[in-house]
Amino acid sequence: MLSDKTDTWVPVALSQDLPTGQAMPARTLAGPIALWRSQSGRLAASADRCPHRGMRLSHGFVRGEALSCIYHGWTYSQAGRCLRIPAHPSLTPPETIRVATRSVEEAGGIVWVADGEPDGKPPLFEGYVPLRSLTVRAGGSALSAATGTKAAVEGFVWRAPGAPAIRLLPVPQETGETLIHVLVPADCGVSERVAASRAAESLRRMAERIEAKEAVP
Amino acid sequence: MRLYDYVLSPSCYKVRLMAALSGVKLEIRPVDFHPGAEHRGPELMALNPGGSIPILEDGDLILTESSAMLGYLAAKAAPAWLGSGAPEETARIQQWLSFSHRLTASLGGARLHEMLLRPGDIGALQANGIAALRELEAGLFEQKMRGNRFLACDRPTIADIACFPYVALAPDGGVSLDPYPTIRLWSRALRSLDNFIEMPGIHRLHELKPEPRPCPDEA
Amino acid sequence: MNDDAMRDEWYPVGLFSQLDRGGRETTLMGAPIKVALDANGAAKVTGEDGRVLPVSVRYGHIWSSLGEPRKPVFPIPEADQPGRRFVDVGVVRVRCSPLRAVENFLDIAHFPFVHTDILGSEPHTEVEDYKVEIREEEDEVWATQVKFYQPQAAKSASGGITTEYMYRVPAPTCSVLYKTCPPRPGEWDVIALFVQPLAEDLCDVWPWMALFDDETPLTDLIHFQQTIFLQDRSILENQIPRLLPLDPGMEIPTRADLTSVAYRRWLKRHNYTYGAQLVAQ
Repeated sequence: MLSDKTDTWVPVALSQDLPTGQAMPARTLAGPIALWRSQSGRLAASADRCPHRGMRLSHGFVRGEALSCIYHGWTYSQAGRCLRIPAHPSLTPPETIRVATRSVEEAGGIVWVADGEPDGKPPLFEGYVPLRSLTVRAGGSALSAATGTKAAVEGFVWRAPGAPAIRLLPVPQETGETLIHVLVPADCGVSERVAASRAAESLRRMAERIEAKEAVP
Repeated sequence: MRLYDYVLSPSCYKVRLMAALSGVKLEIRPVDFHPGAEHRGPELMALNPGGSIPILEDGDLILTESSAMLGYLAAKAAPAWLGSGAPEETARIQQWLSFSHRLTASLGGARLHEMLLRPGDIGALQANGIAALRELEAGLFEQKMRGNRFLACDRPTIADIACFPYVALAPDGGVSLDPYPTIRLWSRALRSLDNFIEMPGIHRLHELKPEPRPCPDEA
Repeated sequence: MNDDAMRDEWYPVGLFSQLDRGGRETTLMGAPIKVALDANGAAKVTGEDGRVLPVSVRYGHIWSSLGEPRKPVFPIPEADQPGRRFVDVGVVRVRCSPLRAVENFLDIAHFPFVHTDILGSEPHTEVEDYKVEIREEEDEVWATQVKFYQPQAAKSASGGITTEYMYRVPAPTCSVLYKTCPPRPGEWDVIALFVQPLAEDLCDVWPWMALFDDETPLTDLIHFQQTIFLQDRSILENQIPRLLPLDPGMEIPTRADLTSVAYRRWLKRHNYTYGAQLVAQ
């Protein structure tokens, strides 16, 4: 595991993609996580594995302030404690049944997760708002080659022909893919946002073409 | 109206789902597609020489294309599902209805291969499926920018029902849906509709029902 | 991984009714095999090197083994009982350990969440205590007096009833369940899950049934069982890890899981570890 990375905030999703009462899968370098937002709007992140039978918790369901596993309905609090085992309704689950949780923060419309306890707050990108996230089957070097800019993890600005200058936030995945969050200037209108989305799609095609060529021996 | 139906077929499910959403009662005639290959037998081949299911029979009318069945059910019982008739909306509906056949060929082919051992080039089927999912994700994202939650407008149409099943069941064919946040929101919106019905592989949204009992520490 | 103990067991490799001279090519525990009819119409299974493998035809399926089975295919006495209908449900492939597929079949606590409004529904989620034993003489795992409230227990059931079950594990990748038979009180319907291990994390599942039900069309019976199994498949393909953990600590059982606890113990005792994870990772 990349231990030097665990105390930093990683942008795993956009706030707009996780409405209240829903769960979704995400990844950090320490593995897959279940990200969920309670009915009252509170965010939580846990290991994407129910300790009972190993089912992915991101397939589960949110009722009120708790996340339940889709397999047997075992229910967990935001702090990861098992609250309920439906097969034994009168049982109070022992404290020892818990799912590992992660630190999670929301800033500027982006959901940040850390495997450890980072000191500061996640960064803000003044003047930009999140547009969409997309996964690219290419690593940082192909992305740098495609944009002509160093694909720095703290983000970089790229201008495609016919589109507004967009800010890209690349997140390397342990699969070799890169999750990219696309941010646009806050004053962009609908047509500029659509153009920025299409520019990001073009960039993905370019980067994947470069990656595929590099992969040829 | 009689539907020749296979419970695991996403194309048959489109018709069952549209009927449920539009309040049409179907007479279901189960077809032993697997393992019996009844759709290739004499009775069904006489009805549909193409050898595919679903088949929808209503009096003299025999339909063998699921998109036509969706149009028929909507026209009969729930015309709002055909859109407002505005040119752009009509075009978008036709666009995604045609597109849905690419989902059937790619994601549907991968699913049959991975689940029911049908022959096929699994690498190509999955790659084409991913390409189609990326197009759908981009299309839905652009719709969201225009203020529309669905493929043709801000309310669901037959185009959404034509695309939804093979997309929702993509994981059956080894194609992950994890990378598509906008598809997840769209799928969720469809699954939350009144009178929505599931098929195997698409589980119930248990959160739509309240917790049956309070958690012990809240009691 | 030591797979010797499991090599000498019987596994389903095809439906006899669907076999022809052309045969079918498949895999058993990583080894390519061919299953075909010979000139006399008998089933024949050969390995990649042309080696002829043991064959048995039981319960609608062809059974074979890479090793030398010491016993015939396990008995299902109900298969010889007059008045039953035998249903070949057909094959479904699942990307999971063959042992995970069997364990899921032994579990009732997931019914309300995975088979919602068919085999279970909230708030009827409680699993009452039942009996589990390893029967030494037969060398099988048995769970009896298993009861669960079901909205629609079988194709022939109308309305909710409390269904009683018995579960049996007579072979490492096979399980037989007996359940209350609505049209014939006192008798048990038999539903079996025969699992063909293709690899440690990939299997072909062949459900089979022996039912007292003269009314329901055959296709309806097949569709009912396929519906149930396909609801399970989306769970089985999302369990982490894919292999079945045999070491305690990796997963947390409760009283509702005593059948699975006994199954895992029995697997470990026999060194049935093909598809198992022995060390927590």
